[in-house]
Amino acid sequence: MNATLGTAGVWLGLFGALVGVVTLGFGLYRRDDKLLEAGRKYTWVIVAGAVLGVVAMESALLGHDFSLKYVAENGSRQTPLLFTITGMWSALEGSILLWAIVLAGYLAVMVHHFRTRATDPLVGWATLTVFVVAGFFFALMAGPANPFRVIHGAIPTNGPGPNPLLQNHPLVAFHPPMLYLGYVGFTIPFAFAVAALVTGRLGEGWLVETRRWTLFAWGFLTIGIILGAWWSYEVLGWGGYWAWDPVENASFIPWLTATAYLHSVMVQERRGMLRIWNLSLLLATFSLTILGTFLTRSGVLESVHSFTESPIGPWILTFFGLVVFTAVGLIAWRGDRLRSPGSIDSPVSREGAFLANNLLFSAFCFVVLLGTVFPLLAEALNGDRLSVGGPYFNRMTTPIVIALLFLMAIAPVLPWRKASEEVLRKRLFWPAWTATIVVVLCVVTGLRGLAPLAAFWLGTFAAGSAVRQLVLSARRQGWRGLIGRANGGMVVHIGVVLVAVAFAASHAYGHTHEFRLAPGQSAHLSGHTVTYLGSSTVKASNKTSVTAQVRVDGGKVYAPAIQQFPFATQAIGSPSVKSSLGDDVYLTLAAAPDHPGGTAVIGVIVQPLIMWLWIGGAVIAVGTALAAWPGRRRRPTAPVSAPVEVETPEAPPEPVGVTS
Amino acid sequence: MSDVDLAVSRSRRHTARWAAISLGVVLLLFVAVLATRKSAADKQAESPLLGKQAPSLTGSGLDGSQVSLASMHGKWVVLNFMASWCVPCREEHPELVKFTQRHQVADDATVLGVIFDDTQPNVRRFFSELGGSWPVVDDPGGHTALDFGVRGPPESFLVDPNGFVVWKGIGQVNADGLDKLLRQGKARGA
Repeated sequence: MNATLGTAGVWLGLFGALVGVVTLGFGLYRRDDKLLEAGRKYTWVIVAGAVLGVVAMESALLGHDFSLKYVAENGSRQTPLLFTITGMWSALEGSILLWAIVLAGYLAVMVHHFRTRATDPLVGWATLTVFVVAGFFFALMAGPANPFRVIHGAIPTNGPGPNPLLQNHPLVAFHPPMLYLGYVGFTIPFAFAVAALVTGRLGEGWLVETRRWTLFAWGFLTIGIILGAWWSYEVLGWGGYWAWDPVENASFIPWLTATAYLHSVMVQERRGMLRIWNLSLLLATFSLTILGTFLTRSGVLESVHSFTESPIGPWILTFFGLVVFTAVGLIAWRGDRLRSPGSIDSPVSREGAFLANNLLFSAFCFVVLLGTVFPLLAEALNGDRLSVGGPYFNRMTTPIVIALLFLMAIAPVLPWRKASEEVLRKRLFWPAWTATIVVVLCVVTGLRGLAPLAAFWLGTFAAGSAVRQLVLSARRQGWRGLIGRANGGMVVHIGVVLVAVAFAASHAYGHTHEFRLAPGQSAHLSGHTVTYLGSSTVKASNKTSVTAQVRVDGGKVYAPAIQQFPFATQAIGSPSVKSSLGDDVYLTLAAAPDHPGGTAVIGVIVQPLIMWLWIGGAVIAVGTALAAWPGRRRRPTAPVSAPVEVETPEAPPEPVGVTS
Repeated sequence: MSDVDLAVSRSRRHTARWAAISLGVVLLLFVAVLATRKSAADKQAESPLLGKQAPSLTGSGLDGSQVSLASMHGKWVVLNFMASWCVPCREEHPELVKFTQRHQVADDATVLGVIFDDTQPNVRRFFSELGGSWPVVDDPGGHTALDFGVRGPPESFLVDPNGFVVWKGIGQVNADGLDKLLRQGKARGA
C-alpha cells in the first residue's frame, strides 16, 4: 500500500516535471503565452507528487511497514517516535525524497510569487530550469535511489533502526532539514541566473528579486551548518565541532560562494558592475551543491558522515557535468555581450572592499575545495592514497579569515567610489581603540598567543565598526534603523565575529585530560573540579547504556554515558556538557568500570567561549531575517515593462543592460 | 563612446568567453577524474589481517556440530559475517548460493557463515527460506567479529587454502566477483 502510494507519487512528480519542461519549452519557442501559463501549473503536479511520496514514507515508517526495503533498513519497533519520523532522512533514498519535497516547496513559492509575470520569458526560463532540476531528483527516485523498493520474499518482522549516531540527539530533527532548505534554495537563484543569460536581460530588477531568495537560502544554510557543528559537539564525544570532514566542507564551499555573491551583488545594484561575476557566483554556488552531493553520496571519499553507500554516483556526476556545461556554455555565449561598462575608481572605496572580499572568498573556496578533492586528484595522478587533514585547512584558511575580519572592520565605513584618509581615521577611531583596549585587557589577565590575540583585536575592531553603523542608523531612524539590508548585514557581521572569536578562543585555550577515577575521587582541570560518583547500567528496549555520575564544581551532577544499540557493534559515547557563557566542561565516559564500584576513565575537556558559537549563530539568523525584511515600500508585482523600483531611495536607478 | 573606450572594449570583448572556455576545460578534466574514481567501498577494504594467518575460529554450527575454519584447510573459504535482520545479507545470499553451487563439483572453495548479532533459530529460518547448505558458526558475544574487526554485516573475508587472509570486503559480494578474486589468488600461486 505505502509502496504503491509512494511510487505513484514519485512517478507523478517525474511526469509533472517532464510535461512541464516540454510545455514551457514549446511556449518559449513559439512565444505562446497560453502555453507558458499552462506550463507553470505543472508545479502543483510536482508538489502533489512530492507530498504523496513523503506521506507514504512517513506512514510506512510510523506503521513499521517492513515490506519496504528502506523501512526494513532504517526503522525498528524500538526506535522512539521522533527518530522514526527523522528516519526519512537517515539514509540516502529518504534524503533524496526530502530534497524533492523542499525543492517542490521552493518551486511552489516561486511560481506563486511570480504568478502575474508568468508569461515573461525570463520567468518561463527560470521555471523551466527548476523543473529540469526537480525532474532529475524524481528520476533518481524512480531509478537508482528508489525509496519505495519492496523486499522480495519473506518480510522481516523488525529492523535495525537508524544509524546509532542518528538516534541520539533531537538536533537530528532540525539539522538536515535546515541544511537542505539552504542547499536546495540555491536552485532558485541559479534558475534566474540561467534565465537571465538565456534571455540576455541582466540589467533589470531580476537580480534584486533573487538577492532575497539567495539570502533566505544562505540563512538556512548558515543555521544548518551551525546546527551541524552543535550536533557533532553534543553527540560525537570528541569535544570538537568542526573537523574539515568532506561532508562538512561540501556544505561550507557553496556557503562561501553564496556569501561572496551577497556582497558583490551590492556593487552591481549601486554601480552596475560585476554582472557576469555575480552570475558566475550563482552558477558556481548551485554547481557546488551538486558536486558536494556527489562527493558525499557516491562514496568516492571516505567520511564519518557516509551513512550510506549507493549507486547514484554516476547519475549525480552526469548531472553535475550537465550543470557545469550549461553554466560555462551560457557564460561563453552571452558573457562578453553582457559585460558592464565602468570600472572601479579607487581601491580604497566600498566597491574596492567588496572586490577584495570576493577575491578572499574565492581563495577560501578554492583552498577548501582543493583540500577536499586532493586525495582524489593525487590518486588519479600517481596512485597515492592520502588524506588531507585539519592542519592543512587550518594553516591555509587562517590568513584568509584574518584578512576577512580586517575587511569586515574597514568596509562598512568606506564610502562608495573613493575614501579620504581623514574620513577613515575619523570613522575607525572608536572601533580601533576599543579593540586595542580589549586586547590589552586580555594580555593583562594573562592570555597569550599571537593568533588568538590577533583574532580578538580584529574581531572587536570589526564588531565595533558594525555597532557604530547600527548606532548611527538607529539614531537616525529609530527601530527601523535596524532593518534593511545594510543594517541586518551589520547584525550578521556581529554574529560572524562572535563565531570567529569563539572559534579562536576554544582552539587556543582548550584543555583536555583523561582521569582514571574511583567512586568518590576528584580531579582538577583549568579551575574546575570533577568528582566521579559512580555509574549505573540501564537496559532499555532500543539501547543499553552505562552512565557515569559526575559532579562538576561541587554543583550539579552530569551523566556522560556509553550506549550500545542492538544490531551495531559500534558503541556510541554520549557526552554530557556543563555549559556557561565563560567556558564549557565537556565530560565523556572513556571507559566504563569493569565491575560495579570499579574505576572509570572520565574524559574532561574544558574550552572557553563555546556557547558563543551558538549565540553567534542565532545572531546571524536574526541579522539575516532583518536583512530580508521587506522595506517600507513593497515592490508591487508589476509587469516587467513597468519601471523597476530600487530598494534604497537614495540609490540611482540601475543602468539598463547593454544587450542591444 | 570615445576612441579610447572603443579600443578598450574591443580588447576586452572576448575575456568572458575565454575565461569560461578555459574554466570549462579544467572542469571537464575534473569530471573525468571523478568519473574514473572507484568507490571507496569497492576498493579492497583495509584490514590488519590481510596477508596474515586468519584468527582461529571455532563454534557450534546450526545443526549443533562443532565447526572450525581450520578443518577447511586446503580449500578457499569465503568467511561471511551475516545476520537474518540485515537486508543486504538477504540480497547477497543468492549470490553465495550460486558461488557454492559452482564449486560443488571441484570442491575447491566453500563459504563459512558467521552469525553477527543474531540467534541460531532466526538464521536457521533464514537458510530454510533462501537455501544454502554451507556451515554457519554461532558467535555469541561477538568475539569472532571483534577478532576480525567486523563492524556490521555483511562483511566477507577470503581465506586461502593455507589459512591466510587475502581479501576483505565490506558490503555485498557477488559470485562473479568472488570467482575473479579466486582466479587472481590462484594465479599468484597460492
